[in-house]
Amino acid sequence: MSIPNGQAQGLVRQKNKAKYRGWLCAYLFIAPLMIGLIVFYIIPFIQSVLYSFTDIDSFNNATFIGMANYQKMFTDPDMWRSLGNTLLWVVITVPIGILLSLIVAALLNTNIKGKSAYRTLYFLPVVTMPAAIAMVWKWIFNGQFGILNQFLALFGIPAHNWITDPKYAFWMVMIVGIWSAMGYNMVILLAGMQGISGSYYEVASIEGANPFQQFFKVTLPLLTPTLFFVLLTSIISGFQVFDIIYMMIGKGSPAYESTQTILMLYYRNAFDYSNKGYASAVAVFLFLIILVITAVQMKLQKKWVNYD
Amino acid sequence: MKKAIKSVIAVALASTMAATALAGCGAGSSSGSAASAGGSGEKVTLNLGYWDNERQGDTMRKLVAAYTKENPNVTINLQYTPYKGGEYWTKLDASMNGGTAPDVFWMNCLHAKKYVNGNMLEPLDDALKAANIDVTKDFPTALSQIYTFNSKVYAVPKDFDTNAVWYNKEIFDAAKVPYPKDGWTWEDMVATAKKLTNSSKGIYGIASPLDFQTCYWNTIFANGGSIVSSDSKSTLYSDAKTMGGIQPWIDLILKDKVSPDINTLTDNSADSLFESGKLAMCYGASYMIAEYLSSDTIKGKVNLVSLPTLNGSKGNVINGLGYAVYSKSKQKEAAKKLAAWLGSAEAQKIQGEVGAVISARNDAQQYFTKTQPSLNLQVYIDAVADSKPLPTLTVSSELFDNESKYLKQAWAGTMTLKDACAKLDADNKTLLEKEK
Repeated sequence: MSIPNGQAQGLVRQKNKAKYRGWLCAYLFIAPLMIGLIVFYIIPFIQSVLYSFTDIDSFNNATFIGMANYQKMFTDPDMWRSLGNTLLWVVITVPIGILLSLIVAALLNTNIKGKSAYRTLYFLPVVTMPAAIAMVWKWIFNGQFGILNQFLALFGIPAHNWITDPKYAFWMVMIVGIWSAMGYNMVILLAGMQGISGSYYEVASIEGANPFQQFFKVTLPLLTPTLFFVLLTSIISGFQVFDIIYMMIGKGSPAYESTQTILMLYYRNAFDYSNKGYASAVAVFLFLIILVITAVQMKLQKKWVNYD
Repeated sequence: MKKAIKSVIAVALASTMAATALAGCGAGSSSGSAASAGGSGEKVTLNLGYWDNERQGDTMRKLVAAYTKENPNVTINLQYTPYKGGEYWTKLDASMNGGTAPDVFWMNCLHAKKYVNGNMLEPLDDALKAANIDVTKDFPTALSQIYTFNSKVYAVPKDFDTNAVWYNKEIFDAAKVPYPKDGWTWEDMVATAKKLTNSSKGIYGIASPLDFQTCYWNTIFANGGSIVSSDSKSTLYSDAKTMGGIQPWIDLILKDKVSPDINTLTDNSADSLFESGKLAMCYGASYMIAEYLSSDTIKGKVNLVSLPTLNGSKGNVINGLGYAVYSKSKQKEAAKKLAAWLGSAEAQKIQGEVGAVISARNDAQQYFTKTQPSLNLQVYIDAVADSKPLPTLTVSSELFDNESKYLKQAWAGTMTLKDACAKLDADNKTLLEKEK
């Protein structure tokens, strides 16, 4: 059975045509996303890298200055303090935040009354504007008229300047950061928990495991992929913390220096001082830090993340 | 169903095409009219950028209505961008890079030099001449100086603000203390504040916020000090006269104990404490009038008095806005004509009568004082004679941030003023190298 040559070519051509049509269709479907990504993320990213080697003014007149921005950055005490503050933020808020959202998710995964109401309540901070959150917490922490001081006065605890005293301010803002990120992590962990088949628990309870044993021996191991995702995104957003601190601590505040993070330093230089080249160098440095930490985590996940 | 989707797509495509066609049209016609814009009757559309809609939106709308009535061929779009957080300037920079900045826009002295150096502002001398405006004669000298670079005028003075002391009569009456009078001294103010401070009620005589324009620069000027050297190469914080103008403010908190401390003033602004009846006296700029009067707690119970003298001299900080024209405007001639008109007697009268700000023109300042006859607003205008403008630098925002970084430690008492000033001068040396 042989097919005449011409006919075979025709078939191949038709096949190719169908293939191209399929590709074209696929590209068309991903185009809206890709165009957005390229225009708003990839091009600005490349620009930032280029800018970091230049001295650029507000009107985009750039002069190439080599590594000068990076040299300045590594000798800038502001930069090291900001980096230290950012690391402290990540080290404190990420573990505590994940632990709390895990506990809340576990509690809301049981059959309690009004659990959807609780879920909504815990998720509420996520859908609230950071500006509104910052305003409310600023009032709670207000040194003269704040609810926190009035509440503590009931127990005879003297008033403190919670967000203007450098001793307390950063810790107070961390509380707000943990509180506002908890809902998001909780929902993801909850979804992960509900994806665990009920038959595991059935077997576990037949074998006589109590709820705590069930949690540590069944839920936790099977939840590791979700936990890994939550850890990864929490660390990345921890390094990029900006809005809450920006809203709660003003430039004139005595606590400003002790709460300045890398992104705050970036913002001041890029938009307040028009030092766009220097700001770009800071942004590139932050990108590299996040890149390395994420790569290390991807490597380490094999040791603790359970994918079956 | 398939048909319906097809027609939806067709409509969407057609409308985008129409939109691009229109955009093309718009660009074409505006460049076409550029050549003949100005006096001719051809249709011109101008964009006017500004940042204070709450207090001055009405003024701007009235000005636009008056101008377009006289020039029916001109259409003016008001473009509002908030000032807060630097949004106005960020957007202005971005739109200048994209070539779409407003044709005429508000400018202030802190930013003018940067835009002049970047060749973004159009000199207005010929347009002002055509409109019969002489900035050196028609406006206070301090204001006309602010926007003159290399003997060219880059913005038409719009309004100005100076500072005065506001007081809450109710607190004075309760403590049976006479109201302050013009010509009083700093020592008088401290003595008065001591009588009025009542910490058990949470009431303070006065506030010492870390605010350069409203507070301590006034006393620096009064004391004969200054911030930046005349060649803009160094700062002069460590100068004895400059420190002599700052120290009294620190003393208000730490020595005289008549002001809330810096933590309190960070949590609650001096203005908000005054508006809630917790402050007997408060330094306030002229643009604060509308805000103070909007507080039901103090409305009808306040008045104002000129700043106290320090070591026998008066001093005040004057700041003024101006109307600038974008150098790459496609309607440059029409834009310059509008900017010049906004500095005319007619326009400045309209602005003065609304009363949100003091009109810059010498002959239009009177209208402002008449808007609130019960208040002694004349003190703001009298202050012009003793006032100095804010320095015009390209690195001003960085300079002010540095200032607050060190001075707040002096305010808190964790660093002496002398140390703070020495650090400031040292830090600013490298900063001012960038100054062109």
